[in-house]
Amino acid sequence: MEKSSALSRRGFLGLAAGGMAGAVAGLGGCGSSTGTSGRSTAGRNKWRQLAGAKITFISENTSPTSAIAVNLSPFQDLTGIDVSIEQLELSSMAQRVALDFGSHGGEYHVIYADPNQVLAPLNHGFVELHKFIDDPSLPSVPRGIGDFVPVQLHAAGYFQKRLLALPYDCPTIIWCYRKDLFDKYRTRMRRDLGYDPTPSVTKTWEQYFQIARWFDDHQNDVPYGDGHMAKQYDSLMCDFSTVLWAYGGDYFHHGQHIGAWGAVDPGPCTLGRPEAIRAAAFYQRLVAKANPGSTSWDWNDLAEAFGNGQCAMCPEFHEDAAGWETGPLKGKVGFSPLPRGPVRSANIYGGTGLGVSRYASEEQQRAAWLFILWATSPQAQVLDLESSVGGGTPTRTSVYRQPNVVRNMHPPSKMPNLLAYHAVSEAWKPQNVGLRPKIPSWNQVDTVIYTELSQMLTSGKSPEAAMTDAAREIDQATKGQASAI
Amino acid sequence: MMLPSLLILAAISLAPFFYMIWMSFHNMSLLGGAGITSSWNGGANWSRMFTDPAVGQGWLAMLIYFVATVGLELVLGVGVALLVFELVWGRNLALSFILMPMFIAPVIVGLLGRYLVNSSYGLYAWALRQTGVYGGAIFSHPVPAFVSVVLMDVWEWTPLIALITLAGLVSISPQLLEAATVDGARYRQRLRHVILPSLTGVLVIALLVRSMDALRYFSTIWLSTDGGPGNATKIIPLRLYEVAFRFFHLGYAATIGLVMLAVSILLANAFLRVLRAPKAQS
Repeated sequence: MEKSSALSRRGFLGLAAGGMAGAVAGLGGCGSSTGTSGRSTAGRNKWRQLAGAKITFISENTSPTSAIAVNLSPFQDLTGIDVSIEQLELSSMAQRVALDFGSHGGEYHVIYADPNQVLAPLNHGFVELHKFIDDPSLPSVPRGIGDFVPVQLHAAGYFQKRLLALPYDCPTIIWCYRKDLFDKYRTRMRRDLGYDPTPSVTKTWEQYFQIARWFDDHQNDVPYGDGHMAKQYDSLMCDFSTVLWAYGGDYFHHGQHIGAWGAVDPGPCTLGRPEAIRAAAFYQRLVAKANPGSTSWDWNDLAEAFGNGQCAMCPEFHEDAAGWETGPLKGKVGFSPLPRGPVRSANIYGGTGLGVSRYASEEQQRAAWLFILWATSPQAQVLDLESSVGGGTPTRTSVYRQPNVVRNMHPPSKMPNLLAYHAVSEAWKPQNVGLRPKIPSWNQVDTVIYTELSQMLTSGKSPEAAMTDAAREIDQATKGQASAI
Repeated sequence: MMLPSLLILAAISLAPFFYMIWMSFHNMSLLGGAGITSSWNGGANWSRMFTDPAVGQGWLAMLIYFVATVGLELVLGVGVALLVFELVWGRNLALSFILMPMFIAPVIVGLLGRYLVNSSYGLYAWALRQTGVYGGAIFSHPVPAFVSVVLMDVWEWTPLIALITLAGLVSISPQLLEAATVDGARYRQRLRHVILPSLTGVLVIALLVRSMDALRYFSTIWLSTDGGPGNATKIIPLRLYEVAFRFFHLGYAATIGLVMLAVSILLANAFLRVLRAPKAQS
């Protein structure tokens, strides 16, 4: 997921650099079979067994990776392994990995395995992680793989029952809104709309639309009620998917199961069904009245626009919370799961895992595994939270139970991304989470979806035509043919 | 003596070309991650390409983009060159400023354009709103988005046309211009009957150079609009990139690439024919 923060990372990097040393001691004892921290010599030896190895980590240019990249010495001190990190824009990164796997080059060893754009299309290039998990000569997963948030472990880690990655980040789209404006106008809105407008999972998308229009017509604090990430790009697919699923539609039959476990052949596309068309019709109406910049904004642009006071609310990735807390909106942003449609609330999960390339040598694979253990460890994830502009939130359940972390879930908070925790924890529940199909042809399918949607939003194509054309093109794509889009 | 070097050069140039032709007759894909899969499909990629509406749309957008950018650059470039040519003082300084956009990487131009027309903080978007010229979000609508990417290209590459034209202008015999002036020709008449005919060869070369670039143009549009909205700015190079490096359909991408090469060659030949025509007449 393309989630590079637009903000300075100086504070984060400084804290991460200073604090990472603490992770060394804690992880040094994590080599015992129980996975508990301690300082056993045997545990430390397991981490040092590959000292002198050199590996390369290729990643999207995200904040967690930037923080690791600025100071690798804690990992190097722990293991003696030399890591070089390449950070690229997501699609460029996916290309490099595809070409490396295609040539069996083994140039990259730790892979930022976006489940839809990398893991599923290139799944045979990844090592099944139980090879390392079940190896007693290697450190065990700190606190075990059961410590990862279950939906994230499935969505980011598995492809067809094979565990290929460990969850590394977890951006999730939720309802972000100007708490101060809702407080200011609540009484009037309640009177005019006939219900409490406070965002919550019990609100419907139709109410969301009404609330946005109320802001359009009754106040001058912000120019528009809502904004969306509706640029012809992956962001548009993400934004629309939350509405699609809320209306009971999906991309394929058993779409959420395909999103969790992956499939090579997902079967026929279901976008031509009435519920998908209804969702598309609503979405067209929604974006038509939103901030006009919406059809040129991706998630970064939308976050900046919201931070600049261009709209009162928006569906946005929760990890932007930290950025808003350092700007003029400090203390003014509220978070909620997305509204419901006729069927449910659906909050799209956009997280990623780290995997090991099977084209690396045996030594490099084991070194890569040690890096993944360290980078996804509870200790590293707490350090990421403690930054002043932290970009990532933990993928481990145990981290969210730590007293220091719990304290910072409410303002004033030194871990600003946790301010959205209550909303995202609700969003991660199986009945509320939205998972995109994890299929090998996803890149092509994704392009079909957002192109047809863009034509619907900007060129007057009808929702029915957009959905039926998309369904036809997607069926071609999943059969291995280049689609006409 | 040159044979070994020529053989190596030929191998480097021709081997990939012949491999691309081979690829175009195969289903080749990087999907799966287990290596490049390849199977003979006859002419399926070729028949697919000539019936693919997305490729057709890409070529149509390419044609409009090409005519708009190269046409505007020619007119503006010649105009700028004529103005600079008339400068008596400060010609070099003026030229330095005029040529600056040309030295900026297309990637940066795309990013600059994206930020300057951003509806929430872009300087150009703000200026257009304040002056009442355009109040909407520029990249949100097909026509304004297309005009924007054309203008970005024109801004960057008009200096190249101006530079080549200026080189042609300084090579025109001063006596010829003086004679025309003495004979009573006004500036417009000198321009039409002396200057422009003298510049024909130079202008054809400028068009040739610019055309070859325009047919392959990618970075600025990819970074600013991603080919949107609604595929309005998805010219054929973007489509090729998508098929090859996003969908990983290498065989089909090779087919599209070979057609682009053929079009480039035909266009280059057309310009060269124009370039040779005056010599043939004389």
